[in-house]
Amino acid sequence: MHSPELLKGTLQTIILKVLKDHGRMYGYEITQRVKELSDSRLLLTEGALYPTLHKLEAEGLLKTETVLLGKRIRKYYTLTTEGKSLVRERVNELVDFIKTMSNVLQVKLA
Amino acid sequence: MESLTKDHIDYIIKDLSYRGIVAEGVQEELLDHICSVTETEMDKGSRFIDAYHLALRSFGHTAGLRQTQKQIIKAENTKPMDMLRNYFTIALRNLRKYRFYSFINIAGLSIGLGICLIIVLFVVNELSYDKHFANADRIYRVRSEITFGGSDSRMLYTPSPLAATLASDFPEVEATVHFRNRGSYLVKRTDENIKEPNTMWASKDFFKVFQVPLIAGNPATALAEPNSVAISKTLADKLFPGENAMGQTLILDNQITAKVNAIYQDLPAQTHFHFNLLISLEGDKESTENRWYSNNFQTYFLLRKDADPKKLESKLPQLIVDRAMPQLKEILGADFSMEKFKASGNKLEYYVQPLSDIHLLSNYTGEFEPNFDITYIYLFAAIAAFILIIACINFMNLSTARSANRAKEVGIRKVMGSFRSHLMRQFLTESVLLSILSMLLAMGIAYLLLPVFNDLSGRALTMPFKSGLFYTIIFLASLAVGVAAGFYPSFFLSAFKPVQVLKGHVALGMKSGMVRSALVVFQFTVSIFLVIGTMAVYRQLNYIQTKKLGFNKDQVLVVDDAYALGTNRVAYKNEVMNTGKMESATMSGYLPVEGGYRSDNPWWIEGRDPSMQENLVSIQNWRIDYDYIKTLGMKIKEGRDFSQEFPSDSSAVILNEAAIKTFNFPGEVIGSRIATFADAPGGGPDKNKLQVLTVIGVVENFHFQSLRENFSPVMMFISKGGGGPISFRFKSEDAQEVISIAEAKWKAMAPGQPFTYYFLDDRFNNMYAAEMRLGKVFGIFATLAILIACLGLFALTAFTAEQRTKEIGIRKVLGASISSIVLLLSKEFGKLILIAFVLAAPLAWFGIDWWLKDYSYRTEIGVGLYLLAGLAAFLVAWITMSFQSFRAAASNPVKSLRSE
Repeated sequence: MHSPELLKGTLQTIILKVLKDHGRMYGYEITQRVKELSDSRLLLTEGALYPTLHKLEAEGLLKTETVLLGKRIRKYYTLTTEGKSLVRERVNELVDFIKTMSNVLQVKLA
Repeated sequence: MESLTKDHIDYIIKDLSYRGIVAEGVQEELLDHICSVTETEMDKGSRFIDAYHLALRSFGHTAGLRQTQKQIIKAENTKPMDMLRNYFTIALRNLRKYRFYSFINIAGLSIGLGICLIIVLFVVNELSYDKHFANADRIYRVRSEITFGGSDSRMLYTPSPLAATLASDFPEVEATVHFRNRGSYLVKRTDENIKEPNTMWASKDFFKVFQVPLIAGNPATALAEPNSVAISKTLADKLFPGENAMGQTLILDNQITAKVNAIYQDLPAQTHFHFNLLISLEGDKESTENRWYSNNFQTYFLLRKDADPKKLESKLPQLIVDRAMPQLKEILGADFSMEKFKASGNKLEYYVQPLSDIHLLSNYTGEFEPNFDITYIYLFAAIAAFILIIACINFMNLSTARSANRAKEVGIRKVMGSFRSHLMRQFLTESVLLSILSMLLAMGIAYLLLPVFNDLSGRALTMPFKSGLFYTIIFLASLAVGVAAGFYPSFFLSAFKPVQVLKGHVALGMKSGMVRSALVVFQFTVSIFLVIGTMAVYRQLNYIQTKKLGFNKDQVLVVDDAYALGTNRVAYKNEVMNTGKMESATMSGYLPVEGGYRSDNPWWIEGRDPSMQENLVSIQNWRIDYDYIKTLGMKIKEGRDFSQEFPSDSSAVILNEAAIKTFNFPGEVIGSRIATFADAPGGGPDKNKLQVLTVIGVVENFHFQSLRENFSPVMMFISKGGGGPISFRFKSEDAQEVISIAEAKWKAMAPGQPFTYYFLDDRFNNMYAAEMRLGKVFGIFATLAILIACLGLFALTAFTAEQRTKEIGIRKVLGASISSIVLLLSKEFGKLILIAFVLAAPLAWFGIDWWLKDYSYRTEIGVGLYLLAGLAAFLVAWITMSFQSFRAAASNPVKSLRSE
């Protein structure tokens, strides 16, 4: 399992990308999806996920809709147009970063 | 997939609430998440409770949950505008909800801010004097300090050759100009004269030193020819309405024919002179005389760039040695030397004064216009600041006093997840909003009060409504005041612990009570100080105006500019006397009020050696006529008045008591003789000829300058044909009638000449205009300070009464009388006012002592005045309080005790 410290700077990008690929998702779904994609090596903690989601929402990159499930209320997140246009940029940025890191650390990526 | 039952979900909701997850939106979302995790775990075969705890663990249990909730709230607040809008809405709601307190706060604060605004406008105006001139930082003038024959003068009058010498001998001087004041002039084109009081003779480089913009003419040649004049636009429009004044001819004082060589823009109000008529000194005899002992000219110069004025100043003593000393030697005798001159306590020194110092730091003989004193700038600024502080204190006190009411709000907010910083911001927003509202009102108040203030200060201030800078400053000032006033309350209020507050323990504590009391004491200390100050200023003014002056200032009409009558002067006087409305009349410019002529000369007792400095007495030489003493109501103490019956009176003199004391005659005073050098035909003293006068009488000392000064020696002798005004002592009570008589005769005998007059007592009172102004300003400030402080007190008592409603109810049920309850409620604040008085009295004593030390004649400020001021403040405060206290005490106890 990867250290949450390493995850910190990439969390927003991961959330944006996952939402871009899957459209409408709720918080728990996102954690599950990331877990699946990373073979359980990447676990989003709730303590980090929700504040980030709310921050992205406040910044206008995400929009939400709520669905009533009996006594529960489920909050779904989708990208806004602004959010969509930002995903590619953020992903490229991260890829670039990974390349740079591989150079700095003198390792070859598989 | 396993689905949770309703009971499970209810359980989770309860549990989450118990763990403190209550924020709107957050709870629902986390609930859904936890439910999802639980369901997944239950799918794997776990029991509900195990699954639930597993879900909780993924958050990090209670601490983690709360941390997440906190993080979410924080993350949502990244949009400050939203939060600000929220603060703003709540603040507005609070202001509306507590109307009474908001009103008290806004009223006090807006009055305080309004006063501050006016004072700031005033101070900015005073600081901007003379800054508009190009090269203002390089313009200087020379002032002199002379001590000779026992009299000191600190003046701006300098010798006529100084300007030319500075220009020729000092390379660091770029240009010089000197001025000669010969009083007001009558100006006409053909027939109708107008009087121009702002007339000045100036040398040709005036426009080089002071680059006043010209409308017409060339600055280099404007004053270059004899009898050329430069006039201001105002005067040009007055003399030549709708015409071009350039090149026209003017007649000055019915004698001098002058040509208009330049027209200049009116000088801005913020200038230390406002000449409308400049007459060229070119070709003027006095202006070119090489006399270093005669000081009649104001000398200004423009320093070269990079030159050091201090260096120039340090060269001036040598200039005196080189130029002035040889001439003094010639007059005072061959054995004269600089060392001896100084050894006998004399001095002759020149100093350099920058233009920027003139308006606020200069008060010498020979100022063109009265300047302002920087002390009063400091004083006004300090008082304005104090009034603002008093208003801010109202806000602080009311906010902290009402904290009990808002403690619950604070508790709930904290429980709902507000941080302390949120609350502080909330309270600060309230105070800033309040101060912005007050500032808007303050602008209105300042706008309405400005005419009153202008009237008082003699300035023409306007609100700079068009200046963007003004609004920026106003806005920033509102913010600053809001933060200053709101900081302490917000700090105080936001510190409440929710558990205690919600349980009902409002830990108001002694601390807040103490601070509040201290602030009330401060408010009333300032107020009482101002009240005592006002009363002291008025008492001194009253003392001045009713003091025995040694002459009678009432019922004297002075007709000015009598020279315009020409040869008809005596005839005019006789004509007016013949109407029978006047008691007597005198023709002399030497009047015992400001604006009267003055002439100072050294005299000695006949037979003594004038080259010995200690024998010389510097004394006022007043040229008067036979009716002077009678008309002005002076008292002969010894000897007799001048009389036509004694032909020898042409060489007689009457001295005042101060002169007798200074001369210290060895024998009988009456009949003693005093001497001075006679005037040489070419001007200046003639060393070989003496003028001798015999003392025939002594008049009681009379005040002829401000009561700040002591009596100085005066001698009076008969002089024929002296110019100046004619003074009439009139019998009639009806001053208007007297004026119309004098005017009618004037019109008949001096057609085309302006009739100008004043009453001697008015002119006398003018000497104390500054004191009157100070009294009024102090009075206004004191009233406002008391008003604002009492507004605060009013609200505070209202609040205490409200807090103690139940207590009062119980006391009444148990038999307390209304009066005892009123006393109970006012006692606490009464004590504070007493403390304030004890603090204010010594402060005021120091202040008054400092102010009065400038006066040779001052009134006694007894303990009575202090007590009176204290009592007045106490009464006003007590009336304020008793209104509220009485209302509380008189209310029906059933009402207050009925409901819990």
